[in-house]
Amino acid sequence: MREILSSPLFGITLSIVAFKVGLSINEKVKHPLANPLIIALIIIVATLKLFGIPHEYFEAGSSIILLFLAPVTAVLALTVYRQRAVLLSTFFPIVLGTLAGSAAAIGSVVLLSRLMGLHEAVTASLIPKSVTTPVAIALAEQMGGISALTIASTIISGLAGNLFAPLLITLFAVKDPVAQGVAIGCASHALGTSKAMEIGQVQGAMSSISISLSAIWTVLLVTLFF
Amino acid sequence: MKYLGQLALIFALCLVGDMIAALLPFALPGSVVSMLLVLLLLVSKVLKEEHLGESADFLLRNMTFFFIPPGMSIIRYFDVISSIWWQLLLVNLVSMVICFAVSAWTVTLVIRIQQRVVGGRRA
Repeated sequence: MREILSSPLFGITLSIVAFKVGLSINEKVKHPLANPLIIALIIIVATLKLFGIPHEYFEAGSSIILLFLAPVTAVLALTVYRQRAVLLSTFFPIVLGTLAGSAAAIGSVVLLSRLMGLHEAVTASLIPKSVTTPVAIALAEQMGGISALTIASTIISGLAGNLFAPLLITLFAVKDPVAQGVAIGCASHALGTSKAMEIGQVQGAMSSISISLSAIWTVLLVTLFF
Repeated sequence: MKYLGQLALIFALCLVGDMIAALLPFALPGSVVSMLLVLLLLVSKVLKEEHLGESADFLLRNMTFFFIPPGMSIIRYFDVISSIWWQLLLVNLVSMVICFAVSAWTVTLVIRIQQRVVGGRRA
């Protein structure tokens, strides 16, 4: 049994099956909280716990899935290219929007952490959390943060964007599809972008380009101020 | 063979992105560099949409799936997180909402200013 469970195929198969179940529940329930990714994560954790399967066995497979995250991010360029007309006509709003959003993310983390009396290392881990995970980790390490906290925070931000983007759009009355996309990409990187692509093509493209731009702005802001 | 070719091209572009990222004097990950590189190649017509084609669309359509491994890392790091989990959740969620609102409003505002300037020029 051990040979089977420690094979990378086990983690990959479990992930795909769990995600498929998540998708079909999502289709039936049609509620934003029935998020396919969250359902998949719960199923995987439950399966590992129930059968006492070590996390390392699952990671043998999940590390292969993780390899695909870079190609997925790279081909987001295609969604941007398909909306190049929109991108050209709203170049300044997008560049300034991602700058303001990145500054707001960093500023609010610093302020909130101080208010709650969090340790400096924790604050440093949280500062870059709106940007895509690899940039966030690199920046957090540079500032003396704890990368585990950074990873958890980027995932929380991403999941929150994926879950609540439609709600936030209504709440803040964001009518412009470009503004919707930039806000999603800026606040919740690629994980939010997958929701933006469901909302619309323009939103998906703007969210995609915002991942790159907010990453660049955050690198610049952190280098300047920390 | 078509799909294999597309995948090979996508992976190769990611490798080039990683190489460029390693040469940069600041921290920008290979995946982000690759995305900008692919965009540049598409805009300059070196690369055509069909070169990436169905394989790229397959990856994009199933994008959320590829977040299962990083999602699972929350569970793996639970010991580090557990002592401050509610502060972590609160700071992240509040800051995420602030970032969302500020970027959305800035884009809307700049678009309005732009339209007024263009409108003013016409008048």
